[in-house]
Amino acid sequence: MALLLLCGPSLPAALEFSQVTITLGEDDRIYLDAQIRYELTPAVSEALENGVPLTFVTRVQMRDTEAWIWQPDAAEHRLHSVLRYRPLSGVYEVRNLESRDKQVFATREAALRYMGRIRDFAIIERSQLDLDREYLVRLETFLDIEALPLPLRPRAYLSAEWHLAAEAWEWRIRP
Amino acid sequence: MADKTLKRHKRRLDLIATIMLVVLLLAALHIMSGAVQRSEALDAWFIPLLVFTVSGLVILVGLVGWNLWTLLQDYRRQAAGARLNLRLVVLFVVLALAPVSVVYIYSLQFLSKGIDGWFDVQVDSAMDDALALSKVSLDLHKREMLRLTRNLLATLEVPEQGGPLNVGSVREAAGAFEVSVFTREGKVLGLSHQNPEVLTPSPPTAHMIKVVRAGKDFVSLVPLKDGQMVVRLMVVDPSGRDLVMQAIFPVPEQLSALTRRVQAAYEAYRERAYLRGSIKFSFALTLSLVMMLGLFAAAWAAFYTSRLLVRPIKNIAEATRLVAVGHYDVRVPLPRVQDELAFLVDSFNQMTRRLAQAHNVAEASRRELAAQHQYLETVLGAISSGVMALDEGGVVRTANPATEAILQVPPADIEGRNLRELAQIDGTLVPFVERMLEALASGQQEGKIEIRLQRDDRRQVLLCQYSRLQLHEGENGGHVLVFDDVTELVQAQRDAAWGEVARRLAHEIKNPLTPIQLAAERLRRKYLKQMSPQQADVLERATKTIVQQVEALKTMVNEFSDYARPCRMEPRPLMFDDFVAEVLDLYDGAGHGVQFTPGAPDAVVEGDPVRLRQVLHNLVKNAQEASDGQAAVQIATRGVERNGRRWVELRVEDEGSGFDSAIIDQVFEPYVTSKHKGTGLGLAIVKRIIGEHGGSIRADNRPEGGARVSILLPMRLAGAGESPAVLSSESKMRGSKS
Repeated sequence: MALLLLCGPSLPAALEFSQVTITLGEDDRIYLDAQIRYELTPAVSEALENGVPLTFVTRVQMRDTEAWIWQPDAAEHRLHSVLRYRPLSGVYEVRNLESRDKQVFATREAALRYMGRIRDFAIIERSQLDLDREYLVRLETFLDIEALPLPLRPRAYLSAEWHLAAEAWEWRIRP
Repeated sequence: MADKTLKRHKRRLDLIATIMLVVLLLAALHIMSGAVQRSEALDAWFIPLLVFTVSGLVILVGLVGWNLWTLLQDYRRQAAGARLNLRLVVLFVVLALAPVSVVYIYSLQFLSKGIDGWFDVQVDSAMDDALALSKVSLDLHKREMLRLTRNLLATLEVPEQGGPLNVGSVREAAGAFEVSVFTREGKVLGLSHQNPEVLTPSPPTAHMIKVVRAGKDFVSLVPLKDGQMVVRLMVVDPSGRDLVMQAIFPVPEQLSALTRRVQAAYEAYRERAYLRGSIKFSFALTLSLVMMLGLFAAAWAAFYTSRLLVRPIKNIAEATRLVAVGHYDVRVPLPRVQDELAFLVDSFNQMTRRLAQAHNVAEASRRELAAQHQYLETVLGAISSGVMALDEGGVVRTANPATEAILQVPPADIEGRNLRELAQIDGTLVPFVERMLEALASGQQEGKIEIRLQRDDRRQVLLCQYSRLQLHEGENGGHVLVFDDVTELVQAQRDAAWGEVARRLAHEIKNPLTPIQLAAERLRRKYLKQMSPQQADVLERATKTIVQQVEALKTMVNEFSDYARPCRMEPRPLMFDDFVAEVLDLYDGAGHGVQFTPGAPDAVVEGDPVRLRQVLHNLVKNAQEASDGQAAVQIATRGVERNGRRWVELRVEDEGSGFDSAIIDQVFEPYVTSKHKGTGLGLAIVKRIIGEHGGSIRADNRPEGGARVSILLPMRLAGAGESPAVLSSESKMRGSKS
């Protein structure tokens, strides 16, 4: 039962990384640019239209490829974006929990597009990395079921429609 | 003992673990219930608690399932207490299930209706109306702002010489946050912001630009970060000038606040309405988990309690089974709680204790009885008298081993049969059966009778005593017969009597014989010469007759002396065939003589050669006299088996007239003879010598004519004593000397 709850199936290609770029900036930082395509399932769309806020988490992880399992990651960031529909004004609101930035969009597509855009996100300073080692950059994004209203969670855990997640994107780099 | 303590500890640990599990599950469910009721602190714990609760329930279900499976297994193999245990469990579970189910069903209905009550149709309508009203108000405000902005743009004068437009007065007059004017290409012609530090206009969104380029006006309500709402507009100059005006007006504070509250309330209501099903599901899930927890905890408690209740009964049932198969020392452990079950167990233990004592006493009595029975059997087996116990119907209940020796019928063939059937088993026992039945039927308490049986080769004399057995108060318990084979005793008494007669005769007669003989001879010598020849002849014949008769009397008296002489046996091992052949060698060449056929080459007998030689001489002499010298006497030997012993048989046959059938039964008694001469002691002496050697003798007539005397002598056991060959040669020497 617990296994089913935690490892429920996800619908294929509901979320995906359509473009990812990792660059070394002039300030000697490693930057991430990515575009995530979000596509909501009918159940999730219905919840959104009924005022349920949806929290999407993008996890950026950088890890020494030869590190032991108990060793910490070189860098790990979680970007939380909350998408919400305001029925009175008929707009979609995207709020970035880290930057507290809030943007309003007249259409859902515009809001999803904005939410999926990551620009010039500094992962780590190059000086903090061992230049002789290889690192794995891993990107994940998913709908955070735990952030849903409590009554919705059991059903969300049990339903495949609520398991929105992109296939992890991985890339090995040698800084 | 240690095993029982270990089991008790294990049971206690199981109980504590299960109670802890149930308490933990209850606590988890309580926390979950709090979480469902939108407690923010417990919100994050909902799913872990749900997982924990479900896992705990699975364990509890497993425990109940295991208990059920064990119980069913016990029931199938009809273990003690299993049926009662199952009935109690079913009863407890049904008792628990019924109220829990009722509460569960009504709670679900109540919950569902209660949640549905939150979302009444009128409330839905009111919320929609409020939202619509807010929208209408805002739309009215937007339209007003649109009209105002259009007017502002229409009345805006653009200097012909160019240069920046001064829209400050316009903005202030309109009460806008910001007013900016662009060309269609986006060139800023003028800007006024209530914050003088803002030098650039708010950038229009792509959507706004798209709308404006389409020649339409854009108007929208935009919430700011602080929650305040503004109306953002972008209008095209209606007079056709290449001008676009963007204006941002604040929504009046009261309208904005009301709208915010309406929006917040509507959003909350709509979200909750959407979550109605999920809320029901969550409550129902929590309630179901509580119900299942309660139910399975009750089921487990039912198993535990029923086991607790049934254990003493099960122990008693098992103990009863053991008692039934004879284990009276079994004890049932007393329950801790002193209730009626403890009383029952205690009473059972007392009962088994008394049973054990009674059994021990009975066992001791049985052993004593068996010992007495064994003793009686040993005594009965040891005595030489035959003993038979008859019941009142004449059925033989028991017979001792001596019965077989006397009656020649095994006790096993007698026991359980009526005494009458003895005659069918052995026809020679007919006189015994008839006389005994007659005596028993006479009604006398006891009596003694002598019964003579004619066996095949001998006559048997039985002295029988019978006694009526008296049980309680005159009840007839049958009879006891005690009988002895007194054949030899009677014979011995007769022999002794004859011996005494012979001794007295010898003593009384022999003494005057010599004076008579001497007196007769003196008469002859003294008066023969004085008498006339005629008288002398008379005297001569008379004295001669006297002397001859005296000699005959002496001979007879000597034979009496031999018969009456005490026996002095000097037994030795003899090779019987050799011994007989040696004795019969004396008869070679005497008339028709004797024809000997040896048939027992290895037979060795323990005998006195002198007396056995006398036996052979007497028999041969008798046979020769019976044959009258006309035919040879036939003598043969052979080995035979009788009564489990080995014997050597010697047969002496003649071709005479045979024994007189009138005296054939008494030929071995003294003075019984059919001959004109002889004392009648020959065969009596033979019988006596044979008897002294432990043998037997029988006389009968041959079918083809003539008499036959058969002697049976016991063979010596092989390997016992001295070498018979040597002693045989000694006996030869001794025989030749005699």
